[in-house]
This record gives sequence, structure tokens and C-alpha cells, in this order.
Amino acid sequence: MKLLRHALDEDPGSLAAADRLARAYIDFGRELGDAHYAGYAEAVLAPWLAKSPTPPLVLIDEATILQYRHQFTDAREQLKRALAQGTDNAQAWLTLATIDMVQGDYPSAVHDCSQVAASGGSVLGIACTGNVRSYLGQAQQSLVILSQIAGDAPSLTPAFRAWVQGLLAETAERLGDWTQAEDHYRKALALTPKDNYLLVAYADFLLDRHRPEQVLSLLRDCSQSDTAFLRIALAKSALHSSDLPQYVWIMGARFEALAQRGSDYYGREQVRFALYLQHDPRLALDLAQRNWQVQRAPWDARVFLEAAQAANQPQAAAAVLAFIRDTKLQDPVIEPLARELTAQLKSPTVSAR
Amino acid sequence: MTAHHRSTWSALPALAATLLSTTAGAHSASDAYLTLTEQPAMKTAGARQTVVHAQWDIALRDLDFVLKLDDNGDGNIVWAELRKHQQAIAAYAYANLMFSADGGSCRIAPTRQMVDDHADGAYASLMFDVTCPGAPARLTLDYRLFFAIDPSHRAIVVFRSGDNVATSVVSPDKARIELPLQGNQNMVNR
Repeated sequence: MKLLRHALDEDPGSLAAADRLARAYIDFGRELGDAHYAGYAEAVLAPWLAKSPTPPLVLIDEATILQYRHQFTDAREQLKRALAQGTDNAQAWLTLATIDMVQGDYPSAVHDCSQVAASGGSVLGIACTGNVRSYLGQAQQSLVILSQIAGDAPSLTPAFRAWVQGLLAETAERLGDWTQAEDHYRKALALTPKDNYLLVAYADFLLDRHRPEQVLSLLRDCSQSDTAFLRIALAKSALHSSDLPQYVWIMGARFEALAQRGSDYYGREQVRFALYLQHDPRLALDLAQRNWQVQRAPWDARVFLEAAQAANQPQAAAAVLAFIRDTKLQDPVIEPLARELTAQLKSPTVSAR
Repeated sequence: MTAHHRSTWSALPALAATLLSTTAGAHSASDAYLTLTEQPAMKTAGARQTVVHAQWDIALRDLDFVLKLDDNGDGNIVWAELRKHQQAIAAYAYANLMFSADGGSCRIAPTRQMVDDHADGAYASLMFDVTCPGAPARLTLDYRLFFAIDPSHRAIVVFRSGDNVATSVVSPDKARIELPLQGNQNMVNR
């Protein structure tokens, strides 16, 4: 990063140098789960963002930052501006596909992925399509598709291969194949051992498998990441650890600091914090409802249903249950939960509270 | 949220061995905390100035990014490194903060620098007084710390005046805020 900074200082007018440094900051920040670097990247991009027309490369970098901050509407705006300068831009389509998937707009994501394939080569397009299908009740097909490119992968970068392995892990989880899921998580982490997203996803897998000790050793060096910190606290809770109150206090303070500054990055995590560490189902449900307006990935559906169930308000989950039905979402945790809440909804003994 | 553990920089023996980590426990966004407390207007008829006491907490990891506090590059900022850079921290910080009142400029007089432990890591805590001539109705704060290197930096400003407490967030889009002073009112009432 020092070298990249030096290169930009030597040649401040170079778009390539600015893009390389901004990308390095974005990637490093994502890896650490640390939003400071997104801010540093934004400062590097600032002079280019002020230009008209803004180079597509810069618009995509900015969209990536905005996506990271869950400012999805603004991120879409930047991507549309980039695509307006030329639709032959795989990275822009892929970023758009990612946002559509996070927000549960799967028809748009399918379209974006076809554009990725058309403009960026088949491997990226296949990964993209495989990813969407795993959310559409086609996890088995998705596994086959993704495995194909995982086999092809040695020629590709470690980051890309780790991404595919991560997708495979999550898809195997959709199918309840824990052995295969864990195998893919381990392969992914062997490629990019510090990737915050992967570490957190694997930690969630371990928490679900009742293996909290392993979460603590996995995330030993990750306490700077707010998302990782939540998993550490959840593991402490599962272990009835005596220092749990300290972890709950720190997590609460961090969320409060984010709220104070007007940032709303971690809706999903805040629901789990309220539900499992503050033991406040009503607050959790309230947070889940707000989060659902922003994000609709499987985990968002899951925490919503868990909060609705804990608050004994199945009727609050009606829209989420409909979404799960419509998309045919497969998930061994979500499906039974959805069935239970649907049954409660239909049962006349449940009164609207 | 800011239940802190405070230690004065002059309390050397207690802190000398402490490592102030720049990374461990840091939370993932850049915030500074500026607390302003208006000193009640003096009763003496001759009081011709308004004083606001201030505490400005700035994350060491943010300062490190600009000022390279971690001299030995081991990822931790030790007390000795901090003390060495105390002047540089003050110079950099105060160059990015300005106060005025009813159009007239105000003076910043640093009083102390300390270290403050927040939930997300160690902060440099800069204490200072803002002195404005007369009994102005409004204090204007102009803030630009870190905005050039990190536009996502925010300052959480807490302003206490009499029984009132007001909180605002300073950002690059809202780098200047106005705070109503009570000194004027009190003087008039008297």
C-alpha cells in the first residue's frame, strides 16, 4: 500500500495509480472488516469523482464503497452512471448483481449475471449465475455450476478462487450438507486466511453447529471488525463465559457509536445482538423490520423470523414468509422456522398483539 | 457510550508499560468526540468575554495514519512514542478546528493532553478553552479534521450550556455548526 501511495504521490494525475491505491484500500478494509479504509479510498477518488464525466473505473470503486456501507441506492446510482458510458463493463454488472442479490431482487440479478457473462467472460458470469440460483431453490444446480469453475480455477487469482469456494460453502449449507460446507470454508480460508467476510460466515457455521470454542480461536485476531466481534460475543454467550458482560457492553458501545455518527452498516448484526445478547425480542423485531427494508439475503430473513418468533408476533413476519415462498428459498434453518410461523399465523389461537 | 478510562499523560509510571494498540479493539469507523461546556457567565459586571471549556477525543489510530506515531512500526503506539509526538498532534489537530462568535474570531488555548480509553481503543484527549470577546449569542464551529484523508470521518459534538445538552454530528457536508450561547441571555437577565 505504501508503494501504491508513493506511486500516486509521484503522479497525482494518473487515474490508474489512483484506482490501484483506492482498490487496495477497499480490499484491505474489507479483509479486515474495517471501514476506515473505505474512507481513505474515497479521499483518493475524490478529485476524480468531481470530474465530469467521471471515469467508469472510479464510479465502480465508489459504488463498491457505498455497497460496503449498505448505501445501496447510492451505489446503484453510481453503477448506472458507469454503465451509461458503456454497457460492456463486467465489473459494473457484477457489483450490480451483488446488490440485487443482497436486496433479494433475484430477477434483476439474473439479468445482471447474463450481462456479466456477455461482457466479462464466461467464468465470472457462471459464478454470478451459480450464486443467484442458490437463492432460488436451485442450490443443487448451483453447486454443480460452481464446482465446474472451482475445478478450472488454478489459473485464476486466489481472491477469486476463495470467493467461489465461499459460494460453494454457503450453497452446501443451503442443502444442509455440513461436511461439504466446512470443507469449502476451509479451502476458501486457506486461499485468503484473513478475509473478514469468510471468517464471519465460517464462524456463523460453527455457531450453528454448537462449536463456540472454535469460533474464539478462529476470530482470535479479529476483534477490530464489528461483525467478527459480534460472533466472538455470541460464542462467549454460548460458553456462558464469565467475561460475557464486558463483550456485550463493548458491542453495544460500538453499535451506539455507529448510530451516533449516522451509520447503519450492520442491521443484521444488530438484530442478533438485541435478540441473543440483550434478550430484547421486541427491539430485535423492530430492528429486523428496518433491516428488511434495506437487505433481504437469507440471513436477513432468518434473523427476522427468529425475532418474530421470540417476540411471539408471527403476523409481523407475513411479508418475509411470502418472500421465502415466492423465491423458493432453501435453507435447513429457515424452512422449519417458516413452517412453524406460517402454522401459527393460520392458527386461530394466536391473537394479534 | 463513552464510559472511559482516563489517564493523564503526565502519569508516566502507570502508563509507561502500557501498550496502546492502534488496531486491537478499534471499531470500524473514524469518529472524534468534541465536548463543549459553556462556562456560566461571571457575575462581575466587568466580564467581557465568554469561555467554553472543551475536550476533544481523537482516535490514536486516525492520528497515526496522518502523523505516523508508531515510530518502530510494530503496530502499537507506546507511551514514549505518544509523548514524542504530543506537539505534532496538537499542531495538526488545532490547525483543523476554528471557532468564531457573532462574526468575531475566538481564541483556542490548549490546557492539557491526555489518553482516554474508549470502547473501541485509545484516544488522544485534547483539553482546551475557547475564549470569545464580549457576550455573543452564537458560537460557530468550523471543523475539518481528517476530512481530506477520510471523508467518512465524523465528529460527534456535545454542547452543554446551562441545563441544555445538544448533540450534533459534523461531516464534510456539514463542517460548520452554530451553537446558541446562554451567557448573553443570563447577563441580560441579570
